[in-house]
Amino acid sequence: MLRTEINELLTQTGPGTKMGDLFRRYWQPVLLAEELPENDCPPVRVKILSERLIAFRDSEGRYGLMDEFCAHRGVSLWFGRNEEGGLRCPYHGWKYDYTGQAIEVPSEPETSNFCANVKLKSYPMVKRGDVLWAYLGDPEKQPPLPEWEFVTVPEGQAFTSKRLQECNWLQALEGGIDSSHVTFLHSGNLDSDPLFKGSKGNQYNKGDLKPFFEVVDYEGGLLIGARRNAEEGHYYWRVTPWVLPNFTMVPPRGDHPVHGHFWVPIDDENCWAWSFDYHPVRQLTEAEVEAMRAGLGVHSANDESYRPLANKDNDYLMDREAQRRGETYSGIKGIALQDSSLQESMGPIVDRTKERLVATDAGIIKARQKLRKAALALAEHGTEPVGNRPEDQKVRSVAIVLPADQSFVEGIGEAMVARPGVPQTTV
Amino acid sequence: MPKVVYVDSAGEERVVDASVGESVMSAAVRSGVPGIIGECGGCISCGTCHVWVREEYLDRVGDVGDMEDDLLDLAVSDRRRGSRLSCQIEMTPALDGLTVDVPDEQVV
Repeated sequence: MLRTEINELLTQTGPGTKMGDLFRRYWQPVLLAEELPENDCPPVRVKILSERLIAFRDSEGRYGLMDEFCAHRGVSLWFGRNEEGGLRCPYHGWKYDYTGQAIEVPSEPETSNFCANVKLKSYPMVKRGDVLWAYLGDPEKQPPLPEWEFVTVPEGQAFTSKRLQECNWLQALEGGIDSSHVTFLHSGNLDSDPLFKGSKGNQYNKGDLKPFFEVVDYEGGLLIGARRNAEEGHYYWRVTPWVLPNFTMVPPRGDHPVHGHFWVPIDDENCWAWSFDYHPVRQLTEAEVEAMRAGLGVHSANDESYRPLANKDNDYLMDREAQRRGETYSGIKGIALQDSSLQESMGPIVDRTKERLVATDAGIIKARQKLRKAALALAEHGTEPVGNRPEDQKVRSVAIVLPADQSFVEGIGEAMVARPGVPQTTV
Repeated sequence: MPKVVYVDSAGEERVVDASVGESVMSAAVRSGVPGIIGECGGCISCGTCHVWVREEYLDRVGDVGDMEDDLLDLAVSDRRRGSRLSCQIEMTPALDGLTVDVPDEQVV
C-alpha cells in the first residue's frame, strides 16, 4: 500500500513537480543515435518529462534539442526545414540554431535586431554510445556526462533499443526491480530464448519458486539480492542494481551479454523502456545482434515509431495455445512484451492504495522510499541527489553461487563494479 | 500473561491476554480486534497493523526498524511519534498493560 499523496509525488514528473525536478538533475536517454543519422536529416519530435521538444542535427553535426514550437505563432518545428546551420520554420521562414537562438527572421528589415531577442527554450544533448542524452535541469547543476558501462565499452560490444510503454514510468521501473516474477512470467523463455538459454543459473532460477530477498543500500541506490537454493550448502544469488532514479540492470546468465534498462517518463501516462545489452570484454556476435534486432532477449519488435508490433490494440498477440503447450507462461511472446502487457494492464497510473504487497516486494518498498526522500530533500533543502555521479554509474549486475553462511554483499565484493577489460561475474 | 489494551477511535478498550513472545499484531488478529489486519503475517511488507503506542510505553517497546520506518513513511494513514507496526513489537512480561491506539482505517 502506498498513500495517495506519495503515489502522486512519485508518478508525476512534469515541469514544477517534485519528482520532475529530481529527474531534471540527471542526463536521460532521449533518442537512439540512429534517429538523427546524418547532418541536416529530418528533425524528430521528443516528448520527455511532459515537455514537447524538437531534436535536430545541424549542418555541422551539432545536436539541438529545443521547444517544439516556433516562437512566432506556435507552429510545430517538426515541419521545419533543417538546412544551412539551423532549423527553419516553414510558415514564415524563422530560423533557429542548435541552441534555440533565432538567427533569421526574413520578413524583418535588414536593419532590424529583432531575432537577437528571440530564443527558444533549449537543452544540451550529447551522443554517448548509441544514445543521445539530454539534461533538462538547471545549467549550473549539470552533472558530468553519463558513464554507464553500456555506453563506454568499445564499439561492437553493445546494442541498445527502445520501445514505447503505455503506462507511468514507476510501474515499469518496479517491474525492473522485482525479480521474483522471472520464475513465473518469463519461465518459458529461459530455455528457448537464444540470449538467455543454456546457463547453469537458469536451473537454479527455475528450481526455487520462493526466492528470499535481501535489499541493501549502496551509494547510487540499492542492490537487490534474490537468493535461491543451489547445491548443498550454497545459494544462488542474483543481484540487481537500481540507480536513482530510473536505471536497472538484470543479473547475467552464463556468457550471454548483460542487459538492463532505463525507464524514462514521456508524460505521466507513458514512458520509454530503453533496453541495452553489452558484453564487457568481447564483441557481440552476429547471431546475438540479429536476435536483438529481431526483438528477442529484453528487446522487442517495433514499428517505425518504436511502438511494439504486439500492443494493447491487438491484445499483444495473445496465444493461449502456446500457453497451453507450455511455451510461454502468460501466452505473450517475448520477455519485453510479457512485462509491458501486464504493466500496461494495470492502467496508465496504478492506484497503489489498493495494492497488497508481500515479502518479495521489499526492493520496491525501499526504492519508493529512496525516491521520495531524494525528491523531498531536493525540494526542501536543495540536496543534490545521488546517481548522477560517474562513480554511481560504474555498476554491474551479478549472478553468483556463494556458501550459505556468506552475505551476498561480502560475497560479491568488487564484482558489482564496472571495470574496463574485466568480465562480468556470472553463472 | 501480559495484557495488551487496544483503544479504538471512540475510546472503547479491548483487553487481550498475549503470550510472551507473541507480537502485538498477532495477539490482536487472534482475538479479532477490529482495525488491525496484519495481512502479510509480520513480514514487514503490507503496513496494515499500524498502531499508536501510548507515550508512557514508548521507551519499552524497542526501536523502529529500517524497513518498518519505510512503511510507516509510505503506507500508514497518520504517522505520529508513537507510530509502530504492531507486528514488530514482541510482548514481554515487562510490557504488561501496554496500551495502543488503533486507527479507524488501515487502508487509506
